[in-house]
Amino acid sequence: MFVQLILSGVAQGSIYALVALGMTALFRATTIVNFGHGEFFMGGAFVLYVMINVVGLPFLPGALLAIVVMFLVGMTIERVLIRPMGLAPHIALAMMTVAFSFLFRGIARAFWGREVLPMPAVFSFPPIDVAGVIITTQDLLITGMTLFFVVLFFIFFQRTNLGRIAQAASANPRGASLVGINVNLFHGTMWGVAAGLGAIAGILVAPITLLYPDMGALILIKAFAAMTLGGFGNLGGAVVGGLLIGILEQLSGGYLSTALIDIFAYLVIIAVLLIRPAGLFGIRESQRV
Amino acid sequence: MSDLQATLPAGPVRRPASAKRWLVRLAIAVLLLLPPVFSNDYVQYVVNLIVVYALVAVGFNVVLGYLGQLAFANAAFFGIGAYTCGISMVHLGLPFWAALVPTGIVSLAAGALVGLPALRLKGYYLAIVTLVLGELMRWSYIHGDVLTAGSSGLGIPPATAAGFTFGTEDEKYYLFLLVAAVMIWATNNIIRSRIGRSWVAIRENELATAALGMSPAVGKVTAFAWSGFVVGIAGALFAILIGRIAPESFNLHQLLLHFAIVMIGGLGSILGSILGAIVLTAAPEVLRNFPGMEEIVFSLLLIGVLLFMPRGLQGVLVGWFPRLRERLYRE
Repeated sequence: MFVQLILSGVAQGSIYALVALGMTALFRATTIVNFGHGEFFMGGAFVLYVMINVVGLPFLPGALLAIVVMFLVGMTIERVLIRPMGLAPHIALAMMTVAFSFLFRGIARAFWGREVLPMPAVFSFPPIDVAGVIITTQDLLITGMTLFFVVLFFIFFQRTNLGRIAQAASANPRGASLVGINVNLFHGTMWGVAAGLGAIAGILVAPITLLYPDMGALILIKAFAAMTLGGFGNLGGAVVGGLLIGILEQLSGGYLSTALIDIFAYLVIIAVLLIRPAGLFGIRESQRV
Repeated sequence: MSDLQATLPAGPVRRPASAKRWLVRLAIAVLLLLPPVFSNDYVQYVVNLIVVYALVAVGFNVVLGYLGQLAFANAAFFGIGAYTCGISMVHLGLPFWAALVPTGIVSLAAGALVGLPALRLKGYYLAIVTLVLGELMRWSYIHGDVLTAGSSGLGIPPATAAGFTFGTEDEKYYLFLLVAAVMIWATNNIIRSRIGRSWVAIRENELATAALGMSPAVGKVTAFAWSGFVVGIAGALFAILIGRIAPESFNLHQLLLHFAIVMIGGLGSILGSILGAIVLTAAPEVLRNFPGMEEIVFSLLLIGVLLFMPRGLQGVLVGWFPRLRERLYRE
């Protein structure tokens, strides 16, 4: 049972990690905490649903198209809602993300009402049985894809020239724009990338979960838990934090009480922020006077 | 020496209220007493809801607008107030007016408790913790079903006082108006007191506030406590108004409504909060047959406010009637 719980925890945690990675990347690049990130997750799943059930595409092209759509949505948000606010205080920017999150939720609800939609099963391979431990194909796929995207993301940021430009632009926007980097374009791209990562997570869980307009709110809190645990703003920390939350959640559900699964992430957030706000890998912030 | 003394005012200047000002006050009071005469039951229910949400918004504004902290614990305070009142009435058998005492104490304490992490956590961290707190409270309403009756909801008996039952919507209106008027009046006075000014000072610059010898810690905890208190009392009124409270009444949707009322009405303005409540409370009643429309309309309004009118409805009103400016911003 222990191994089984760990495995499903890793699969679940991969999703949290992917969402948290997108949020952290955006936070690092723009210093905005996106309260609407759950809606990117929800949006990815819903656009995929439309692509498959309304447009009639097969899964793979539908999924790719959904990611592209969400990337463009992310860029549009930056251009239309965030950039005009300029140097507004952080609180106002956070309020803006709250506002557009409810906008997306409302749009989803306007089309789907109060229904809960099941996604048609895409993959139906039999689960693999390894010495009594059952591994579903979906779990393997989720974990594998997450690993793939995380590695891709880190290679891009640490090894490519474009990644170095991105680092420069987030470390010092003013300096970067002085040496000829288009910081606005960079911010727009990062919103797109964040939305894309959120959408990928939504697409990965869509076949095994039910779709409903509020599905983003829960994942947002889980991603916050992952980010806080790993150290707010730490890219690697977000991934590790996500996996840890997934595993601990399953263990607490398996050994203590299933009701705990729902609130485990909440308790982690409160405990970490009260005891060690810097999380596992964060650096303590010092205040500049 | 005596000349100098004569030019220095002894304490704050109090202008004697002129006959005209008394007339205006009288007119407002009469207008406030009138709605039940003209409304039917349903309209009166919506008017009562407006009174409740005006009080909620005034309380939320203390933290969001005056103290300038992004905290999302408001739906939690609202729920704590409603459930404390409901539990005191159902399980302890207290009448409504007596139930207001534990409600006030518990929500004041809840506010102060949320204020404590606000001392350490800034900006986003506080927003996240308070958001989580709201969801945690909702979970405990569902799982604490011995007291809260779980997901099916807790039935609330009607309010009584000295043998009189506030059964109809009209009767509830006068009760609500009295409670809300007292609370809003008190909030208005506190904001103009030394402590209220320290809230605004913290919003503008926390370090400078500390340097001036005002304690940001005391300011924050008192602001949160007062906010929790006002919103908790509003929660008690809400429980009486709808007669049955369920965990789902205090979800993120409720939070959006509070948030939108304060933001659209105008941050840091009591008049704005009341205006926001009037405009936005009626909207869900109109839009309820179109799923999602409420969220779409509210969020578009919020985006509009954030982009184009940072002072909200109150700011627009001041723009139209410059005479109001002096009245609203005067000490």
